[in-house]
Amino acid sequence: MVNGQSIIYHAEQEILKLPAKLDYKLVLLENHEDNIILRDGKVEKMLRATSLSLAINLYLDGRDGFFYTNDLRPESVSTFIREAFETTRLLEPDETRTLADPDRYYKGGGPDLQNFDASLSEIAPKEKIQLLQETASEVEGTDKRIISMQTRYADRQHQAHYLISNGFDGHEQSSYCTLTSIISVEGEGGQHPMDGWGESRLFFHQMPRRGVAPTALKRTLQKIGQRPALSGRYRMILESPCAGNFLQPLLAAMNGQALQQRTSFLAGKLGQQVVSPIVNILDDPLIPGTRGASLFDYDGVATQRRELFTEGRLMTYFIDTPMSKKLGMAPTTQGTHHLIMEQGAKSKEELMADSSRAILVTDFNGGNCDPVTGNFSYGIEGFLIENGIITQPVSGMNITGNMLDVWQRLSQTCNDADPWETELIPTLAFEDVAFSGC
Amino acid sequence: MISKKTLSNSPLKREETKPQVSPLRGDLVGSVVAAALSGGSDYADIFIENTRISSMVLQDSAVSQAQQVCLYGAGIRAVQGAETGYAYTMDLSEEALMKAARSLTPAVSPAPSKGGRLQDPAKVNGGTALSWQFTSPLEGTGEAIQSLPPAQVRQLLLQVEEKAHALDASVIKVKAYVSQRMQEVQFAGSDGTAFHDFRPRTSLSVSIVMERGGQTQMGYATRMMQMGAEFFTDALMEEVVSEAIQRTDFLFTASQIEGGEMPVVMAAGSSGILLHEAIGHAFEADFIRTGDSIFTGQLGKQICNPSISIVDDGTLPNDAGMLRFDDEGIPGQRTVLVENGRLNSFLYDRISAKHFGVEPTGNGRRESFRCTPIPRMRSTYMLPGEAKEEDIIRSVKRGIYAQSFTNGQVQIGAGDFTFFMKTGYLIEDGKLTRPLRDLNIIGNGPEALRRISMVGDNLRIDHSASMCGKEGQKVAVSQGLPTVLIDKLIVG
Repeated sequence: MVNGQSIIYHAEQEILKLPAKLDYKLVLLENHEDNIILRDGKVEKMLRATSLSLAINLYLDGRDGFFYTNDLRPESVSTFIREAFETTRLLEPDETRTLADPDRYYKGGGPDLQNFDASLSEIAPKEKIQLLQETASEVEGTDKRIISMQTRYADRQHQAHYLISNGFDGHEQSSYCTLTSIISVEGEGGQHPMDGWGESRLFFHQMPRRGVAPTALKRTLQKIGQRPALSGRYRMILESPCAGNFLQPLLAAMNGQALQQRTSFLAGKLGQQVVSPIVNILDDPLIPGTRGASLFDYDGVATQRRELFTEGRLMTYFIDTPMSKKLGMAPTTQGTHHLIMEQGAKSKEELMADSSRAILVTDFNGGNCDPVTGNFSYGIEGFLIENGIITQPVSGMNITGNMLDVWQRLSQTCNDADPWETELIPTLAFEDVAFSGC
Repeated sequence: MISKKTLSNSPLKREETKPQVSPLRGDLVGSVVAAALSGGSDYADIFIENTRISSMVLQDSAVSQAQQVCLYGAGIRAVQGAETGYAYTMDLSEEALMKAARSLTPAVSPAPSKGGRLQDPAKVNGGTALSWQFTSPLEGTGEAIQSLPPAQVRQLLLQVEEKAHALDASVIKVKAYVSQRMQEVQFAGSDGTAFHDFRPRTSLSVSIVMERGGQTQMGYATRMMQMGAEFFTDALMEEVVSEAIQRTDFLFTASQIEGGEMPVVMAAGSSGILLHEAIGHAFEADFIRTGDSIFTGQLGKQICNPSISIVDDGTLPNDAGMLRFDDEGIPGQRTVLVENGRLNSFLYDRISAKHFGVEPTGNGRRESFRCTPIPRMRSTYMLPGEAKEEDIIRSVKRGIYAQSFTNGQVQIGAGDFTFFMKTGYLIEDGKLTRPLRDLNIIGNGPEALRRISMVGDNLRIDHSASMCGKEGQKVAVSQGLPTVLIDKLIVG
């Protein structure tokens, strides 16, 4: 169990002493993190820390206050809770702001999620530094154009203990490690192209020992000579690592708060085909050994496998308890945990070879999407593809359009989603997308 | 500029901020810093923070949500050259601080010229006895920083909603948010630097949803200043609510256009995002030290039109980027980045300044005690020129007048930057014509600077709530610009 459990029970006792009967949610968070940066063979920065903090929701006759502190000295917690109560009392009642129905709480019996590396905080920093050195050594001295190389290792153990007054007492834990290499090289015209590559795992022993830095170097060198291509309409091949970003405006528009505030372009579209019929996306938090796996959400509500889009139809919104009451809709969940998009059979390379005129988008550079209309404009970089072959690295271009329109233009999905991510989105092909360049 | 007049005839009461952290004892500082140095580092410091953030939200015509956050802890750093060992703790007992400090010793390589364990905690700077005198910039000024009590914040939020509905009948939703943050900082470095400061930061955000003829639009406006309760004035509320409504109203008639390369006139004020993204980040000296920035090796060179001078300023009173001391004890100052078109200075923290043998410029900032300080911007703006805005617009045959923005970013090495224009106009034959919205504008930093051909006389610093992100750390900044003409950028 979480260290410092006495803190959460001390906080509960302090709440019970308050001069009114309240409902409450207490979450004690414990995180251990290691962050090490290696540059030019030396440790440039090293951080190792453990943190404890307490999140408190107080519910007083429809009044809901949220409070967070990492000053966990008993007398400080007592004072903090008394002040929190005084603030909560000042709020106006909103009968929708209550705890979740206890019938929906996770009640045990779920699978072992196999997503916590208990040894992570015990592994000596020198082992992690050695991993960094092995990674960096794969490319050190291999190319004179390298200006700088930063190799970064980060890990995190997360544990949380929940205590909710209407009948939930739960504990969750997870961990992950990431290894990233970022390289800059001498480019053309004084430019210093920079790119990187990273891999994430749940357990330290799963970390790849080879390939991260060479991939980063390859991606960086490919960027030399970037320039805008001609404005026009192209097939857009959106590479897997950044394809997930393009889904975010759709997920944001499924949020109950956006619906209730009338700021969602997906309002009133439940059950309708809103994106290409080849889109099948589900959220499955219950697959052991995956990132994002969780038996219950932040409200203590049991998670479940949930279809988001089926053959392009919108299957659900993200509705929490308050939004359920405001909107008169059944509650679902607060958001996604481990999102999986159905993949196709082709590799990215096969898709590129099949493209007569396309732009492979490898990263976004700024931009935004209007939440009400779905109109977007994003900066991009990547490669121009002509007759199946990469002919030019591109940057300094924008794509512009509307989210619902562009997702209807999705024509193909590849087979290359990274299984270690929280969102498994493969490389995607969208037809006839407006690019602006030179 | 925002009026500083306080709410007229208001019965508002203010709550005075009192120190929450026990003053650091000189001997404890000495012991902690000496322990951090004991592995042979050439510099060490301790940063203690006690931050309180309280916020309230008005939504659906009721103030029914509130938040309070307390961040409390200390970060201890040992530096040897460019190598940094860092540890933080939320336990400020002597035992915990010493444990954190001692944990740093394996993180940095021993300095060849030093080595050995320093025995006398008071002698941590080459054996010189030090006495830490904590400078408290606010002490003796009579300026007690006060926050607005929750009951008054609630009253103010209800006034915001009332004003919004009074200004436009098509307003259907108002969401308003007030945040009051007070960061108390104590800092001591092994070179004898020490300060104790209170940093207030208060913001108001208003988001409006309007409906007309079955069409819905949303817009917002924000303000953020380093002020206490005096932030809240009638004029400020009026200004923010009106701006949010005007921006929302504008969206009903605005549209996107087919993009391409064209001249862009950047309106005075929030267009300072151009400087922040196009050059500001690439001037941060950690990127110069590693050679990653496209401006590496350009110091002293002419990089743009001699009519252009750009500064990064930590001295603007009450500005979100103002720093009496930065987060590594360097006094707040104004740094001229570009003087008459010549690259005059980068933005240095202690590590990069030592690397280049220059003085730090007071740009070492951190989000909290959990983070190491790195070079960051404060308030970045261009000094005014001589052109009139109407003449600048009149000089454009076909282009864009960019008026308000939501976000931007830059690729340091290539110099490619973008910023997202929320509202603006098409310029045709020297006149503003079609209202435009939601266009990403993209360019290359050094090129964009070279392509600035006219600089207006109307510098305005924008005080919207701007948070800048770098290496996972967010800090408050501001920016400003007079109206300028950039001959060519790629528009969404």
